[in-house]
Amino acid sequence: MPFDAAQLLPILPEITILVTASLVLLVDLYLDDQQKDLNHSLTLVGILIAIALTGAVGGGEARVFFDGNLVRDALSDLLKGSILVVSLLAFVYARPWLRDRGMLVGEFYVLGLFAVLGMLIMVSANSFLTLYLGLELQALTLYALVAFDRDSRKGAEAGMKYFVLGALGSGMLLYGISMIYGATGSIEFGPVAAAVAEQEISNKVLVFGIVFLVIGIGFKFGAVPFHMWVPDIYEGAPTPAVLILGSAPKIAAFALAIRMLVDGLESLHTDWQGMLVILAVLSMGLGNLVAIAQSNIKRMLAYSTISHVGFIFLGLLSGSQQGYASAMFYTIVYAVMSAGAFGILLILGRKGFDAERLEDLKGLNDRDSWYAAMMALIMFSMAGVPPTVGFMAKLLVLESVIRIDMVWLALVAVFFSIIGAFYYLRVVKFIYFDKPAEDAPALLTTGGVRFAMSVNGLALLVLGLFPAALLSLCQAAFA
Amino acid sequence: MGFEKFLFYVLSLITVWSSVMVITRKNPVHSVLFLVLAFVASAALWVLLEAEFLGIVLILVYVGAVMVLFLFVVMMLDVDIATLRAGFIGYLPLGLLIAAVMAVEIFLIVGPANFGLAAFPSPEPAGVDASNTRDLGLLLYTVYVYPVEIAAVILLVAIVAAIRLTLRRRPDNKYVDPARQVRVRKGPDRVRLVSMATEDLAPAPAGATIADKGESQ
Amino acid sequence: MENLYLTIVLAPLIGAIVAGFLGGRIGRRGAHSVTIAGVGLSALLSLWVLTAFIWGDLPVFNETIYNWMVSDGISFEVGFLVDKLTAVMMATVTFVSLMVHIYTIGYMAGDEHNWPHGALSGKNSYQRFFSYISLFTFSMLMLVMSNNFMQLFFGWEAVGLVSYLLIGFWSTRESAIFANLKAFLVNRVGDFGFILGIAAIAMYFGSMDYAEVFAMAPEHAEIQVALFGGVSLMTLICVLLFIGAMGKSAQVPLHVWLPDSMEGPTPISALIHAATMVTAGVFMVARMSPLYELSEAALSFVLIIGATTAFFMGLIGLVQNDIKRVVAYSTLSQLGYMVTALGASAYAAGIFHLMTHAFFKALLFLAAGSVIIAMHHKQDISHMGGLRKYMPITWITALLGSLALIGFPGFSGFFSKDAIIEAVGHSSLFGSGYATVLLTIGVFVTALYSFRMYFLVFHGKERMDEHTKHHLHETPWVVTVPLILLAIPSVFIGWYAIEPMLISDWFASGDWNPIMVAPEHDTLLPLREHWHGQVAFIQHGMTAWPFYLAMSGLGLAAFVWWLVFARNPRIDEQLQALGGPVTRLLQDKYGFDDFNQRVFAGGGRDLGRALWMNGDRALIDGAIVNGSARTVARMAQRVRHLQTGYLYHYAIAMIVGLVGLLTLFVTL
Repeated sequence: MPFDAAQLLPILPEITILVTASLVLLVDLYLDDQQKDLNHSLTLVGILIAIALTGAVGGGEARVFFDGNLVRDALSDLLKGSILVVSLLAFVYARPWLRDRGMLVGEFYVLGLFAVLGMLIMVSANSFLTLYLGLELQALTLYALVAFDRDSRKGAEAGMKYFVLGALGSGMLLYGISMIYGATGSIEFGPVAAAVAEQEISNKVLVFGIVFLVIGIGFKFGAVPFHMWVPDIYEGAPTPAVLILGSAPKIAAFALAIRMLVDGLESLHTDWQGMLVILAVLSMGLGNLVAIAQSNIKRMLAYSTISHVGFIFLGLLSGSQQGYASAMFYTIVYAVMSAGAFGILLILGRKGFDAERLEDLKGLNDRDSWYAAMMALIMFSMAGVPPTVGFMAKLLVLESVIRIDMVWLALVAVFFSIIGAFYYLRVVKFIYFDKPAEDAPALLTTGGVRFAMSVNGLALLVLGLFPAALLSLCQAAFA
Repeated sequence: MGFEKFLFYVLSLITVWSSVMVITRKNPVHSVLFLVLAFVASAALWVLLEAEFLGIVLILVYVGAVMVLFLFVVMMLDVDIATLRAGFIGYLPLGLLIAAVMAVEIFLIVGPANFGLAAFPSPEPAGVDASNTRDLGLLLYTVYVYPVEIAAVILLVAIVAAIRLTLRRRPDNKYVDPARQVRVRKGPDRVRLVSMATEDLAPAPAGATIADKGESQ
Repeated sequence: MENLYLTIVLAPLIGAIVAGFLGGRIGRRGAHSVTIAGVGLSALLSLWVLTAFIWGDLPVFNETIYNWMVSDGISFEVGFLVDKLTAVMMATVTFVSLMVHIYTIGYMAGDEHNWPHGALSGKNSYQRFFSYISLFTFSMLMLVMSNNFMQLFFGWEAVGLVSYLLIGFWSTRESAIFANLKAFLVNRVGDFGFILGIAAIAMYFGSMDYAEVFAMAPEHAEIQVALFGGVSLMTLICVLLFIGAMGKSAQVPLHVWLPDSMEGPTPISALIHAATMVTAGVFMVARMSPLYELSEAALSFVLIIGATTAFFMGLIGLVQNDIKRVVAYSTLSQLGYMVTALGASAYAAGIFHLMTHAFFKALLFLAAGSVIIAMHHKQDISHMGGLRKYMPITWITALLGSLALIGFPGFSGFFSKDAIIEAVGHSSLFGSGYATVLLTIGVFVTALYSFRMYFLVFHGKERMDEHTKHHLHETPWVVTVPLILLAIPSVFIGWYAIEPMLISDWFASGDWNPIMVAPEHDTLLPLREHWHGQVAFIQHGMTAWPFYLAMSGLGLAAFVWWLVFARNPRIDEQLQALGGPVTRLLQDKYGFDDFNQRVFAGGGRDLGRALWMNGDRALIDGAIVNGSARTVARMAQRVRHLQTGYLYHYAIAMIVGLVGLLTLFVTL
């Protein structure tokens, strides 16, 4: 079978990231401690090229490559772009923090880039095998990033927990995949979907497999009751690692869900819908409730993640094109908000001191009113206050569940989001109405960070006012 | 046919039994050895399924490399079994209950009802000259070339991650650099023996001595 | 064309933004230059569009510019529909707006004296004023150029907002704040009906686009809605939309805000509360003619409300002494005429009167403003008189405006008003007889109050105090030039526009006709059939009742307030005393204000207080808000202990989750 080099075209972004990672790995060997900034520049350039290439090779009809292992469609284009953009923001935010602590080393960028690579592979996977490998690539790098600070006991503990639980989650996912393979005889989504459509609706083996798949998805997203790792890892890991871990991987997890449940098993929608309903209600409820009781802002954001995951599931479970599009919209928006929130925490830190308590945000307005405004925007958006985009996102997913006549679910969601508004607004209160601590250190920022944060925060406002562009892209992905 | 079936049951029994022994032995060395036995038995089962290559790889990689490493670690580290098992009895009932429920459920699904010969008729035995290795290789490097490449990247990441998490530069580490040793030239770099006239016992300035040492190293 | 229309809309907006946000930096000159440039550009282009429609063959533009969002199959868009109806409105709005912009330079020149000394809100008020009126122009253009109900509603609310801001412009005056609050609240009542109407359209038609809705309308004509024992859908929609128009166009009983709105500076009274915004309701009904034609009940409703407003509001004008309030009641009355025309399906006549009225009423307001400037911001006509000698330009233009208003033959108002009365006379709807009688007598009333004001202000002895009299002089050119420029169309536009707008089928271009009239409702048909040119129309008009009534009104006013007044300056009060209870009824404005004040405002306050004490403080704050907050906090404290930190707890949680899901979905 001759190899067609044109097959490589759709994975040009992936190749770029891989080459960049390898380049950083090599170049880093020859750099002094003063020159480590080159790693950063190389990384950014690589990601920018990858974004450009994603745009260049994207568009057009969905096509399958590599004998069914890879697909390039509107979904993969948009998700790749979002992952790259969010990761770009994350790398920009992380740099001053790393330099301040002497951790501006090549490995951080290498691992980060490999994580991005894993996500890119996931979103364009067309078979369970590719999807699983991408997931493992991403997970492995994230384990290492969580334990990246070798001198931190908390980091090591978090990394250990993440690794063990992650292995358990992957194991379950793999078991589920083997069940699906057993029942359908294929690991490629297209043939799986065809085989499922032919069979009787209540094939127990398939449902059995789906339970495991849903658990795998739930674990990656951090949905209750598979969420236990989230708060501990968010708290224990160094903040730049949390930034990378908490933003773009949610987009990849969304791809995981869409590829498996929709591309492969959409005819069994009634079966997985029920499971997602349970996970969604539990996540929204527990996430919002427990977030209130947190005094550590990283833990609070962890529980906030869990509650947002509940909302994303609302869109997924509706089983309609509109629902998937709204979940996608929500996921991308969430990734952007999350990157911004952790970016602000990075700015507040200093060597030997990390902004972890809610009190550390006190009087941010007096220290830097622009960052305060951006953080307030992010918090409003997370709480779902119009006209920020968070409101549009919530509105869209609620609309999708109302359309399938699950009004009770929408009511539950609204109820918990009202509870959730409390802890977001409490942050805003700390920022604007409290005085800063006497010994508050100067902010750790650069021009690049300020620019990226402005783009990040204002994007939430602009997207809220003009959601049509992103929304129509999301809808096009499922048209 | 009869003999194959007999072999299958014997090997399966060995696999199950040794797996149970792995988690019930008190001595971790015994556990690891039972694990080796379980692997060997399953490798044999694969060979029975005409997957000779996989069977051999299982023994080579897992038994030959991974298990030896395990054994090495277990023997080197002084693992305190007592603390590990402290809560064991307390959690045993819950654990057993969950395990039992899961076992029943899995058996209900992965039983003969769904995976019996009716659903999956046994395939024709492969010919005598069928080559497992060749078939696998062909598949891996054509249809599955993309996943194989990803797997390669995963291995690279594993190396990078492992080195990052374990390698530390210790300041008190004393090591010699062979490259520098080899590069030493005759003349100024070498130690010279200088004959000097004896002097009085007037102490030389401290700084000078250190500087001398630094140069002659 | 898209760029051209975008420029027309956005030029005033940019002016407003620059003057509003950078007003302090660019100063007064900068602010008025940039806004006048924006509106001037917009006016020029609008006039070009209008001429291109008249003499050229400009195609109708109906396109979406931006798709804001799609929800449940209904798309919310920003788009323009520009046909001849729109072009007339655009030209009128931008032209009057431009005149008002220029005029404002003179009127607001000494605005710092209108604020308490050192008031922060008085800072840069001049620039802010320009920003507001430019913003208003933008909003009004969005309203008239819209091609869908969403944008219509946006424009509708935006002009309402700017109106609110401008009525209360002098925000340190109690009366101004009261007036703008009143305007806002009364308009809320109308807008509630309006948005219900839009909602009904969205619900039954599944579209917000005019063209689509109009195309589907005939199919929906037979639908009955189970409401009040069954009404037709069209009647419901049309009445609801018209309730919105009643608020915006100040029709009885939602008219109460308009006289009070005179608290705002005079330029905006001319622009917003006479020429443009208040006619938005008229424009909207005309635009919706394909819907209104399907419901005779709604048309009757419109007809009766319009005629009632036209007559009874005119009467109040007789007893007012505030120069601006007289003009304001006159505006109410004229709006009534337009609305009556709509009710009689003479949409073209309504729009025609809207246009002529925009010019002569803006002129009258600006002339009143000019008088007010000269009088040092005193507005009581009983203390004026004899201004003719001091302010010749204001005098002449005000006279021309008044003649146009009463419908003196040949002036613009004559053509539009006679056409309306004629059309209503031919209507056979329920209430058309009532309307014809009221409108005809209304002509007499109009002439009476207009010339009462005219003679009291410009003729007779000077009754102001010595100081004011000493300083009387004609206002600067920035004030008089707009007066002159507005006087020209006030006199002539009727002559030139009646034939295209009423007689020929001018509004239609190609197969698109914005004004749809069912054949059995075509009340302008007789006029069209007996059309022999403007001169014949004037000759015919001079033999008809309205002419005699107007002339007798004019004559009576001249007799009483010119001849008699010269000898007996107390004649006005004596006449009012003679009226007795009737006068009191008129002075109380039929008791609308008292009723609203006592029942709605007072009742609302009492209800609010009761709800606040019992409902809000006791039940919601006490039990629900604080109670639920406490409950949530307690639950949160308990649930957080699930997170123990032990790895094996986490693992077992996952496995329990697995077993739970398996049991639920596989085994059961």
